[in-house]
Formats: sequence, structure tokens, C-alpha cells
Amino acid sequence: MVNHPVLLIAIPLLTAFIIPIFKKYGAAIAGGAIAFNMGYAIGMFSHIYSNGKIYETIAGFNPPVGIFLAIDALSALLALIINLFAFINFVAIGKESNYKFSMLYLLAIAGSTGIVITGDIFNMFVFFEITAVASYALIAGKKDKKALEGAIKYMVLGSIASSFILIGIALIYSQLKTLNIYDIAARIASMNANIKWASFAMLLTGIGVEAEIFPLNGWVPAAYQGASEGVASLLSFAPSKAAIYAIARLMLVVFPFHATYEIALWIGVVTLIIGELAAFMQEDVKRMLAYSSIGQMGLILVAFSLASQGLKYALMASLFLIVSHAASKSSLFLLSKSEKMYGMAGKYTGIVSVLSLIGMPPLAGFWGKWYLMLSAMDEKLWYVIILIFFAGIVETAYFARYLHRSIGKDGESSLRYKAAMAAMASFAIIFGLLPLLYKIASLPLWGG
Amino acid sequence: MRKYAGIAIALLFFAFSISIFIQLIPYDSYEGSDYHYKNPINGGVANESIPTHYIKETKNETGAVNAVTAIVVEYRGFDTLGEVTVLFTAATGVSFLLYQLRKKTQGREANLITKEGSKLVLPFALLTGAYIFIHGHLTPGGGFPGGSVIASGFLLMLLAYPKFFVNEKKLSYMESISGSIFVIIGLLGLLFATAFLQNFIPVGKPGHLFSAGIIPLIYIAIGFKVGSELSSIVQRLKEVGE
Repeated sequence: MVNHPVLLIAIPLLTAFIIPIFKKYGAAIAGGAIAFNMGYAIGMFSHIYSNGKIYETIAGFNPPVGIFLAIDALSALLALIINLFAFINFVAIGKESNYKFSMLYLLAIAGSTGIVITGDIFNMFVFFEITAVASYALIAGKKDKKALEGAIKYMVLGSIASSFILIGIALIYSQLKTLNIYDIAARIASMNANIKWASFAMLLTGIGVEAEIFPLNGWVPAAYQGASEGVASLLSFAPSKAAIYAIARLMLVVFPFHATYEIALWIGVVTLIIGELAAFMQEDVKRMLAYSSIGQMGLILVAFSLASQGLKYALMASLFLIVSHAASKSSLFLLSKSEKMYGMAGKYTGIVSVLSLIGMPPLAGFWGKWYLMLSAMDEKLWYVIILIFFAGIVETAYFARYLHRSIGKDGESSLRYKAAMAAMASFAIIFGLLPLLYKIASLPLWGG
Repeated sequence: MRKYAGIAIALLFFAFSISIFIQLIPYDSYEGSDYHYKNPINGGVANESIPTHYIKETKNETGAVNAVTAIVVEYRGFDTLGEVTVLFTAATGVSFLLYQLRKKTQGREANLITKEGSKLVLPFALLTGAYIFIHGHLTPGGGFPGGSVIASGFLLMLLAYPKFFVNEKKLSYMESISGSIFVIIGLLGLLFATAFLQNFIPVGKPGHLFSAGIIPLIYIAIGFKVGSELSSIVQRLKEVGE
């Protein structure tokens, strides 16, 4: 039963389609679908974790003629994170939302999951479109000036990014006559060199907009600041994680060359420096969190680019950084609903998330930075080690300021909201203590 | 200064693109014997590139005489489901954002020719649209163009008559039901055959109206969905007014 991953996409789509008929119960139906997705993602992950990869053909045609879904332990983990946090986030904000919000939320989740589990590059593009269009509407949903500003910035950049991805795919297809990621990876060397690099540049530019890497992240601060708390939380764990995974997949499987590794490494380094410095200078909490997200995405990109050189520690580091960032940032965005933190749950959430982001043992963020340092030492990349220390110091500075300002008694919220926030933050502890992620990094991943 | 920098960057980009596209190899030059795709699912080896496969096998495998339709709905049906969803997401987004702004405005009265002409054209637009998507597996066209033709008929009516409004509830129900039918056909494929969106009914004789398995069913669903979606977007934009 758990080897039909297509249900992870089909069920949310079906639910989103039928919600307009049952307007009154829209949020409840959507909640049911997300709960199903979460359960299915957990089942699928445990199946893949013990039995290895799952492939599923669509429409019964064997690849490379037909589309197929290819899920290894890493993409199953990403699907699990997206759907799990989507459910917890929906518990916090679902009850107040109207039925159209629930539909868009479902579509954004289905799209992000699709990006992660598909094995076909054009299919990935389609899911990028779904995710992006749903995100524009969700960001603008608050309907004030800032929300519209964020949504318009994202929409302009996102539409250009989509066309870049499409041109990149078309260039690959014009040469190799295939869209299957495994097939492209196997025959990429037979491509004309100029066209190969042009398609790489276009794919990196296009997906980079969604993955918030420098210099394509002009929309990020405005969008996170303008969006409501739940949507900002959604943006920080679903589309950005799916997009950084897509970039990693392109680097590791489709373009496994030394030059792509260097490009990605340097983009990651610059993104990290700029994100952290900009976060340090922000006054507004949400903007600070948004810039901090940019910095973290740079760190994840550095980890993935080292992982593309076959370093096991770097792969572990990227897994830990992804989990830590998803857990901490989504809970911090929920927490940013009010100026001050709500009671015990708020303080717990704030402190755990901040400690994980700074990199305190034994939280997930610490292991991420630790293994990244170990792998950088193996490669003798001293500037990466210096950068990690630098990032840690800057993060400590601005998060200490944030905690100093925000800890207080002000603000009240519903029990559901508080419980969801605390649950999200707890995953930074849980994944830091469990040996799960080490084992995933030693499983056979990617393939090709 | 910024203007000149912009122009310089645009020119550089243009030169770069030209240098790439000038080297594109013509369509059918990649038929090398070095095509050995190893299927990760069953370990089999394919020795045929995808365009060749489409040209040779479409009629046998899907029963559709229109290869483009077969590719859009069968081979890459999952992408089409995604594209339908993109349109649906955009329509939902528009109505989500215009939710509070709505008020039924009274536009200017159109002139006589527009009024009478659109009344005359509407049934033919609906008929043509329906023809295009019902015959999608036989002739060029399909759900997306057919649905757009239907929506253009309603657009004419909205332009000509300030008081004309399509029943919104019915539109949204039609949109929901036709979208669900697409996904349900896919799930039935998973149930009765082996894969999502796989054909599970007899293929029939290629070239006949009742042929090509689930392709016409899906295209009818897409036609209704696109038609109702585009009509509701246009209508919503009219409601907002000045």
C-alpha cells in the first residue's frame, strides 16, 4: 500500500478540486487530506528506510518514454518533513482560514512534495509552477500593502524564473531527447559543451529564485515580512526546502562536474555572508528571520556542494541543516505573531529554535555545523571553517538581541497554536538525538 | 548610468544566447547507436530515443491518431494534470484576492452590432469549443483550446451586456466536478490497471470517435474545467469594476 507515492500528489489535488462544493467544511476536509498525506509520508519513509528505493511509473509506460517517480531515502525524508510540518502548521492556523486558503495551502504542499519525489525534469518544472503560483496567492492573502509588495516581487521574479527553468529543460531536450533525470545523468557527457553550461546556468538561475540563493533572493524579505505567520512558516519549510533539494539533485546527479561544484560552493558562501550580515542589521523581526533564512540556505548549499564531492559527512551535515532549519524557522515564524513570546510554550519554542540555529549541542543544528566542519577539514577548505564560526557569531549576536527583546509576559494565543509551535521546535531536539539521519546518509542515494 | 548598464547587460545576454542557439543540432540528428537507456525499474535496456518511440508506437499503444494528444494526455498525462492544476491555482488565487473587493458594477451599454453579434456567435462558440475538445484525439486541438473558445463566447456576452452574469455557483461546481473527474480517472487506472492515469478501458479502432480509451474522457473533463475556470476569472475581473 505504501508503494504508490503518486497518492501523495493525487489526494491533495482531488481534495483541492472538491473543496468548493463543500465550502463550509473546507478547512476540515483539507485538514483530513493533509493528515492522510502525513501518515502516508511516514509509512513511505519507513518502507524506503528498510527496503530501499521505490519507483513508480505513471500511465504504465516505462521510463524514459513515460513519467516516473523515483524516491530514495533522502527524498522520502524531505517529503516526510514537508508533510509533517504542513500538518502541524495547519493545526495552528487552519481553523481560522477560509476554504480558498485551505485549497491554496493544499496545492502548495502537493507541489512541494511533487518536486521532491519526481524523477522527471519537466514534471519537476510543473510542480515548481504549482508551488509558486499557490505561494503568490498565499502571500498576498493578507491583503495589506506589505503583503502585496511581497507577492508582486515574488511573482515577477518567480515568473521569470519559471521561463528560465523551461528554457534550460528545452536545451537539454534538444540535445539528449529525453526528460528523465537518470537518463540525462547517464548521457550528459555527450552534450555539446556550450549548451550544457547554458542549460546548467538557466536551471540554476531558475531554481535559485525559489531556493533563495544570492543574488536571486530580492523577493525573500518582502514576502516573508508581508505574509501572515502561517504562510511565512509554510514558505520556510516547504518550497524553499524542495527547491534546495532540486538544486542539490541537479548538482549531484545531472551535472556532476568539478566546475558546478565550485560554482555552487561559491554561491553558497556569498549567500551565507550576505544573509547573515543583512539579518544582523534588521530591526523588524520577520525581516531578520527572512535574512537569517537566506544565510541558512547558503549554508545548506555549501553542505550539498561538498556532498557532491562524495563526502559522507557533508551529506549528513546537509540533512541536519535542512531538518534544523525547517523546524526552527517554521516555529519562529509562528512565534512572530506577537511582539512578545507567549508564556511557557513561547519561551520554550524561541529558545530551542534559536539554540538549534546557532548550533548548540545536542540539537540538530549543531550536528549540521559540526559535520560540515569535519568535511571541510577533510577537503582542507579552511575558509569554510572560518565562515561557519563567523556565521555562528553573527547569529548569536542577532538572536541574543531578539531573545532579549522578546521574552516577556505579553501576548496570549490559543492552546492549539502554542502546542503546534512547541511541537515544531521539538523536532530540532528529536532529530538531534535520533541516529536516523546518520543512517540515511550512508544509504545508497541519488543513483543514476 | 543604470540605463546604459541595463542595455549593455541585455546585449551581452543576447550575444550569449545567439552563440548558444546557433549551435543547436537539427531535430533528427541524434539517432546514434549510443542510446542505451537502462531502465532503473526493471533493469531492461531501451535502444530507442523518445521522439522515435512516439512516432512509431503512439497508434498501437494509445489508439489515438493524433500523436500530440496522445503525448499530452497519455504519455505525459501527469504533467497535464499539473498544468490544469496551475490554471486552477491561478483562478483560485484570483478569487481569493478579489474576495472582498467584489461589487456588481454596471458598465457602459455596448452598441447594437456587438450586442446582436455576440448573441449570434455564442451558440457557435460553445459548439466549436465542444467539438474541439471532444475530437481532441482525432484532430488538432483539445481541452485547453476548446475550453478557451467556450470562455471567449462568455467573454463576448460579458462585454456586450452589462447585466449579463453567468451563475457563479454553477461555474465553480462544474470546475470542481470536472477537475475531480480527471483525478478520479487517474485513480481508477491505479485500481483497475497498474499505474496512475493508465488506460483501463478498451482502446477501440483508431480514427473513430469512440476510441483511444481514456483520452477523450480526460479531454472532455479538461475542456469543461478550462472553460468554466477562464469564464469565472473573466467574470470576477468584471465584478471588481473601476
